[in-house]
Amino acid sequence: MFARSLVRPAWLAAATAFLAAAGAGTATGQGITCEKCHGNRDFLVGKGGPQGDSALYVPAGTLQDTRHASLRCAQCHVGYDAGYPHRATSRVVPCSTCHAAEGRDWDASIHAANSASTGDAPTCVGCHGSHTVYGAADRRSPTHPLNVAMMCGRCHADPRIIGTYFATADKTRARTAVAHFYKTVHGNALTGAGLVVSATCNDCHRAHKVLPADSTGSSVNRANIPATCGACHVGVVEAYDSSAHGAAYRTGGVTTTGHSAPVCVDCHSAHEIVRADQPQWLLGVVQECGTCHERLYETYFETYHGKVTRLGFNLAATCSDCHTAHNMRPASDTRSSVYAENLVATCGRCHSGANANFVRYQPHGDPKDRTKYPLLFWSWLFMTLLLVGTMSFFLLHTFLWLVRITINRLRGGGPAHTEAQP
Amino acid sequence: MTPRALNAADRGAGPYLWRFTPLQRALHAAVIVSFCGLVTTGLPLHFAHAAWARALIRVVGGLHAAGLIHRACAIITFGYFALYIGSITYRIMRSSNRMSFFWGPDSMVPQPKDVRDVIQMFKWFLGRGEQPRFDRFSYMEKFDHLGVFWGVAVIGASGLLLWFPEFFAKILPGWAFNVATIIHGDEALLALSFIFTIHFFNVHLRPEKFPIDLVIFTGRATAAYMQEEHPLEYERRRAAGTLDALTAPPISRAGYLWSLVLGFASLGLGVFLVILVIWALLH
Repeated sequence: MFARSLVRPAWLAAATAFLAAAGAGTATGQGITCEKCHGNRDFLVGKGGPQGDSALYVPAGTLQDTRHASLRCAQCHVGYDAGYPHRATSRVVPCSTCHAAEGRDWDASIHAANSASTGDAPTCVGCHGSHTVYGAADRRSPTHPLNVAMMCGRCHADPRIIGTYFATADKTRARTAVAHFYKTVHGNALTGAGLVVSATCNDCHRAHKVLPADSTGSSVNRANIPATCGACHVGVVEAYDSSAHGAAYRTGGVTTTGHSAPVCVDCHSAHEIVRADQPQWLLGVVQECGTCHERLYETYFETYHGKVTRLGFNLAATCSDCHTAHNMRPASDTRSSVYAENLVATCGRCHSGANANFVRYQPHGDPKDRTKYPLLFWSWLFMTLLLVGTMSFFLLHTFLWLVRITINRLRGGGPAHTEAQP
Repeated sequence: MTPRALNAADRGAGPYLWRFTPLQRALHAAVIVSFCGLVTTGLPLHFAHAAWARALIRVVGGLHAAGLIHRACAIITFGYFALYIGSITYRIMRSSNRMSFFWGPDSMVPQPKDVRDVIQMFKWFLGRGEQPRFDRFSYMEKFDHLGVFWGVAVIGASGLLLWFPEFFAKILPGWAFNVATIIHGDEALLALSFIFTIHFFNVHLRPEKFPIDLVIFTGRATAAYMQEEHPLEYERRRAAGTLDALTAPPISRAGYLWSLVLGFASLGLGVFLVILVIWALLH
């Protein structure tokens, strides 16, 4: 975003110099400046038509210190004659005359389609403003990173827009996208920490080529997610690319567990994304892993690690502590954190002093799996029989005792002691 | 008819007779306090999936606090276990009649009479005979005693493994901790289930004793209680003329109230925890 804004003035300057040659300073070339009328509120009273007088009021200096400071009125507003009111054929030069790439991107967007069909989507001025185009680096601009979410929210948090365009079940997430965004790690970084480098709407959805996630050309389509997130999270996407998940994603998108290869948002979600060091995340992500790794998920919760985690405490290892967050590989891979020879180091991250004996612990040991864990199975069976056997015998003992007492009482025998000690 | 005393050991005609020594009463209090602490903090971990687990762990102050309480109670457990072993060793060494600890009516060791008593008890349940008459310790009390012995040894040893896995991995393979986890949890579940249902019923909740028997706290019971619960011992001592030596004063008011509080608190907690276990097993 910022790299582009540095480049833009060079070619903009060339384009504006060319256009400026036609009618610098005047609307008509006859010596009457636009400001003479359009800078005078009193003159405009009653002349605004359906859009209102204020739309016609453009006082001198409006363009000053905007990105269009060097432009003249007639470079955008062409086709006016000297008559008043101006002829109805007046029109505005499309922004894409200069901003060709942005124009092409917008033309391909859902905003362009809806703008043409219902008019319910922003054109250039809808986001950038008309006369006060400051550029995204300017704090006053609605496209400044700290303002973007609010700007997008003008429509995307509007109940009418939500009710009209995001009513179907597959658009559920879009209904709450803006509200949730402010609670996310990205939203908090913007509003709480005031970071302009944190992702806002356009960083993931793009500024101009905005498309719904189910469209293949969308930056937030599953096929493009790693690249979109990876634009900022360079190190993470590097690890992901070489992981079992990344490999499956590249080669057809199906993993060895038969599920579609997870991309960033499968674990992190999109608009509910939270900081990875928050308990809420650490517990939630186990569930995310479990949606594909069902058996490992169940057996994990049979262990001390899993039980502590299930109680809602971030005090014991979760999936990523052993398998890494993005660089997970099968145990047969020598580079894997759970490869036999790497286990002492992996377990040792929490258990200082872990040795070759220690790592023979079964972090997914399943007592119900007799063939894979016979020792655990027999231990479990012995303990269960001991428990069931002991309790059965004595519960029978207690039950029969109670029955006998009841029978004896019904036959007239009272309780043994009835009087208190004097 | 005068009102029925709350404490079953107060019922009937006197005088009071000593049944438990101060050390035995203190040991039992230590068992109660540590066991309640252990199960209250361990149960939410064992049944982490249960609907109540997170709430219970929050009540005890969070997982970190639960871990500390659990380990503190483990230390109390190891302490009373060592004290008990030490005390019986001392008594055996000093006693003029050592055999009486291992055999005979005053011994806690199960003997042929206990087997006959179990059979006689079931006959009585089924209406085919008289209720067996017990000596100083009934077979139920002997089972409870051995159960605590076995339980502390098994749960304590497996708990130590899980407390210091890095240390024990110097001599044991890692899967020993998987086995220790199973043994620790299931044996504790057995202990909890047994004590909070069977022991509670046998000792406190059966109609003859309901709602509570404080003899283990106060150390003394009426002669009528002894004739009812331990008739053979009573008759044996009367015949030997040693009954008078056991005569005890009534417990002080403060001692009685403390006994009542500890007794009812542990009874209530136990029944509550059993309900939680059943709830977790049903879901």
